[in-house]
Amino acid sequence: MTTVRTPDPPLARDTPAGPRRRDRPDRRRRKSQPQAFAFLTPWLLGAVALTVGPMVVSLYLSFTDYDMFTAPDWVGFGNFTHMFTDDDRYLQSVKVTLIYVLVSVPLKLTVSLLVAMLLNTRRGANGFYRAAFYAPSLLGASVAAALVWRALFMGGGPVNEVLAFFGWHTPSWVDDPQFSLASIVLLGVWQFGAPMVIFLAGLKQIPAELHEAAAIDGAGAFRRFRHITLPMLSPVIFFNLVMEAIHAFQAFTPAFVIGGGRGGPADADLFYTLYLFEVGFQDFRMGYASAMAWVLLAVIAIVTAIVFRTAKLWVFYDDAEERT
Amino acid sequence: MGRTTVRGTKGRGVAALAVVVPLLLTGVAACGSGSGSGDGDVTITFVWWGSDGRANLTKKAVELFQQKNPKIKVQTSFSAYAAYWEKLATQTAGGKPPDVLNVDTRYLAEYGGRGVLADLNQGAGKAISLADVNPELAATGVYQGKRYAVPWAQNTPAMIYDPAAFTAAGADPAKGLTWQQYADATQKVSAASGFAARGATDFGILDTTLEIWLRQQGKQFYTPEGKLGFTADDLRRYWQLASGFRDAKGASPADVTASYNTSPEQAPLGKKLTSSEFAYDNLLPAYQKANGKPLNVAPYPSDKAGETGQYRRPSMFLAVSARSAQQEAAAKLVDFLVNDAEVGKIVGTDRGLAPNLKVRAQLAGSATGNDKTLYDYEAALEPKLGAAPPVPPKGAGAIQKLLQRTYEEVAFGRMSIDDAVSRFMTEAEKGLS
Repeated sequence: MTTVRTPDPPLARDTPAGPRRRDRPDRRRRKSQPQAFAFLTPWLLGAVALTVGPMVVSLYLSFTDYDMFTAPDWVGFGNFTHMFTDDDRYLQSVKVTLIYVLVSVPLKLTVSLLVAMLLNTRRGANGFYRAAFYAPSLLGASVAAALVWRALFMGGGPVNEVLAFFGWHTPSWVDDPQFSLASIVLLGVWQFGAPMVIFLAGLKQIPAELHEAAAIDGAGAFRRFRHITLPMLSPVIFFNLVMEAIHAFQAFTPAFVIGGGRGGPADADLFYTLYLFEVGFQDFRMGYASAMAWVLLAVIAIVTAIVFRTAKLWVFYDDAEERT
Repeated sequence: MGRTTVRGTKGRGVAALAVVVPLLLTGVAACGSGSGSGDGDVTITFVWWGSDGRANLTKKAVELFQQKNPKIKVQTSFSAYAAYWEKLATQTAGGKPPDVLNVDTRYLAEYGGRGVLADLNQGAGKAISLADVNPELAATGVYQGKRYAVPWAQNTPAMIYDPAAFTAAGADPAKGLTWQQYADATQKVSAASGFAARGATDFGILDTTLEIWLRQQGKQFYTPEGKLGFTADDLRRYWQLASGFRDAKGASPADVTASYNTSPEQAPLGKKLTSSEFAYDNLLPAYQKANGKPLNVAPYPSDKAGETGQYRRPSMFLAVSARSAQQEAAAKLVDFLVNDAEVGKIVGTDRGLAPNLKVRAQLAGSATGNDKTLYDYEAALEPKLGAAPPVPPKGAGAIQKLLQRTYEEVAFGRMSIDDAVSRFMTEAEKGLS
């Protein structure tokens, strides 16, 4: 994720040079269009060949029965109706993914915001802690992190032993349907570094005067958090929410590695993307897998749209009146 | 602020793609021009599944082939079992399957039946000699009248066990046990370890074990028509048998069973969580290495003396792609790997016994250690081995996973055996239709 910079528009408003400065790039932009397109050509070629093309093919395949070896058979909406009426594993994968999104995203955002607030001070060791907390998310969706997780939470692993020391005897977390999804949620939450860094940047933007003024007026820490930090931070929260929700819907690697490459014990870790992968590349039903991919795309689009819609109610922009 | 961020990301994304895409394109081009050089030399690709150790042996065999056939260059690659099939499916769909490939009996119908594999009874494939291969073993590569593959090695399902633990429990699996004797012995083995480790890995998840158990009763897993060869009642009795082991603490608890993975290193016996496990005999060295104790192989328990239900199993097939432009060179490599005595010596028993009986007899004479154990085991079993079952139908790979999944519901106590059986039967019939 890229760093978040100071928003320019509010500053530009105050300087008289603002409007003129805005004009100049416009003219330049028009002049340099051919060059721009020349520079864009490789990307356009890549986008068409590697993104748009495969997407069109996959849309076509989603209406077919395609085993990857012989020509696809047109089945119309067959794949889509089969999904919702005749495939228990599909519904299981939807359930697992929804639980994961609904539990891990709020948890991750809460943890990352809390840690960001802890680190938003000028104490000496903060640089170290920021780096230390950010590191796990650099590993991102890496196989290594998931393997380590599996080793930590398996039967006889450190987590088991520590809990047993305190008298709580658990089975192998990763191999028990009761716990395995929880261990993947924990892994997701542990990698909270990226939203944390963005929250940190957002926190730095909140003018200290606001807090000082509120404190003088007698507002306690919680009230200041509730009435200053949260509203001022709402655009950042919004951004993080959208990004994390999209990521969570597409989670694959942790479930693949921790669930033993097959959706975990009794399908407890059967994430949507994992089932999609299995159907496409192990069971040779590429048409069905394509249909699943398009449903996922549609769901992510709808969820994102809903979040955007509700944003009006709770996201507070400093320059809201300017945009109308 | 959200806006600036998004714009910044996109801008950088574009820049990155602009750099990456040309690289990708040139990379692809470079790969494309790699094969095929002048002088009548040909390059063929050869892929297999397995571990590093197997890769080293196989590469040595391929080097020998190249020495003897200097005009043929062989490019090899390998991956672990599951990844192998994913990669192969993608390559095949992309129209660039490898020239020579390994096939598993579970996927033979999938690839052969869909025209991906060359019929070796026709054209260049006729150069592959099967004269010295046991005819019953050789027949396993034939599907719907066409020879899509030749066996590269023979193994047989077996019980791999810790002899010390079982001797202490007063049982000798090598001599053959009844299922009841096996159940009693596993309970004693579990008790001896204070139930920290169990006598057996719960076999309710294993399709091979179900198949052998069915064969002991004159039934089969799949009919030649590609349907299930057993009834809901058979499966119920099998799962009751397995659950009996688990309930008596003779077999592994559910979370240990669920960690079972196709590799010996990750399996309960490999991790010392159990003292016996059903697998294939050629995996003995790998299990032994993972477990650390001396292990042995034994025939399956059986209630009818001498009828173990075991068969000569093609542990791995060699096949040639139907789209290969180098059929002759490919067939030459396959013939070499199957019949050359030197190759037999190099690859040893890693995949199982050599398919060529003359080569096998030669090797058996000088075998030592685990190799000797395997030769002795199969030699003793040889008169009792039955014909291999017909090639499993398309979808057999998925049935294996279905069996594991539904049985786990039982083992974790989330579903009754009856419910799990009916779910298995419904889904299996759907998957095979």
